[in-house]
Amino acid sequence: MPELANPADLAHVHLLINHFPTIGMILGLGLLLLSFLRKNDHLKKVSLEVLFLIALATMPVYVSGQAAAETLKGQTGVSAEAIIAHNDAALASFIMMEITGFVAWLLLWRMRRIGWPTTGLTYTVLVLSVMTVASVARAANIGGDIRHPEIAGGQYAGLFGQSSGTPLISAAAIKDFVLQHPFVWPTCETLHFLGMSLMFGVLLIVNLRLVGWLRGMSFASVHRLLPFGLMGFGINFITGMFFFIAASEQYTQNVAFHYKVILLILAGVNYLVLTVYDEAWALPASAEAPLSGKLLGASALVLSIGVMYFGRMLPFIGNAF
Amino acid sequence: MLASLDQSAFSTWLLSSNSIWAYPTVLTLHTFGMMVLVGSALMIDLRLLGFGRGIPLSSLERLFRVMWGAFWLNLLTGTMLFIADASKRGTQPLFLIKLTLVASGIATIILLRRRVFDGTKEPLVISGAAKRLAFTSLLVWSAAVTAGRLLAYVG
Repeated sequence: MPELANPADLAHVHLLINHFPTIGMILGLGLLLLSFLRKNDHLKKVSLEVLFLIALATMPVYVSGQAAAETLKGQTGVSAEAIIAHNDAALASFIMMEITGFVAWLLLWRMRRIGWPTTGLTYTVLVLSVMTVASVARAANIGGDIRHPEIAGGQYAGLFGQSSGTPLISAAAIKDFVLQHPFVWPTCETLHFLGMSLMFGVLLIVNLRLVGWLRGMSFASVHRLLPFGLMGFGINFITGMFFFIAASEQYTQNVAFHYKVILLILAGVNYLVLTVYDEAWALPASAEAPLSGKLLGASALVLSIGVMYFGRMLPFIGNAF
Repeated sequence: MLASLDQSAFSTWLLSSNSIWAYPTVLTLHTFGMMVLVGSALMIDLRLLGFGRGIPLSSLERLFRVMWGAFWLNLLTGTMLFIADASKRGTQPLFLIKLTLVASGIATIILLRRRVFDGTKEPLVISGAAKRLAFTSLLVWSAAVTAGRLLAYVG
């Protein structure tokens, strides 16, 4: 298996993409506000799609940040306190971001079914994205303190270390919780497998319908199942984060994990297209999907099997337990 | 008997070969089969419990073929994994519980197919008995996955 990146490369990747979440969230929120001003549902849909895509794009940002921290450990001119504070703030904003992306997706799914945005979900997305922008800006700001002496006047002043006290979410506390209780890892693994089965069951029906192997069901009727797929993904995201936080080195330095994250992002984009896809939406029970639908269905199956493959191979291609 | 299995040449190859095609591939195929079998079963159960009512039951019938394919794949790969570790697994209560749960899951699938997917007219309402069976199936498959996954951690 060819190596993709060593930790120093990943630190570089982190520097390349670490502004995506902040700028992307501001862009998504801005489009959402504009859609209110313009009373334009199409623009609202675009803003929700941006929010969902940024939630996906934040995954490699968080993961590569862990590799960057490992590379920086012990170097001079780097503030260890700032790294820990940045990690905790980034984790909090990452969680906020994923919740926002999830609710944005839910509204897109509802809009596809009923044709207009429902008020409750729309305002939930609005409030969540304002909170996420604040949270991600704070994380980015602390990140800047790690190695920008010009900002801190030549020396890191412990600006956040002094004032914040115990953070709301502490990566170190989560790590201790997972590693000190022997039941946590096996429980998360079990839930991870159940979430995977749920998610794949949905993908199987929706995409076999598109490909044409399952017949006699309208696309709209299988579209109803999509939230169960995202529910399965939610279970796997949460349990997966427990593994990653508890033993990040075995993932950041594992090529199987790098492939898994890349395929996961592609599968996420694919899922978004499935959710809002106009040509397929109108398909009656007996009709065959257009070529684009068949390709979409086939790629969803290949990508999700790929995610499973690299997940299962983590201990064998790489070194995860 | 069990000891002779796990001292066999096959067992030695499966466990101590460094090839990615030995243990890692067999285990991955077993996971793939599980995902397909349990995923399909969960979808049929959810449909019978009232989600995705617009999906005609008759259109889901082909999924039973998928499930049987996945079942045979897992019987084969499961047998290979068992041979590799026969004396440990053969006497392990959790392993026997898992086999019982899988057999019960298959039984719920066969019963559902006979009672609900009998090839006649599309039922207008799903009977209470069918819903209870679907719910049982959901629980049994979840328990089977749990028992199987915990085999990696329970001695």
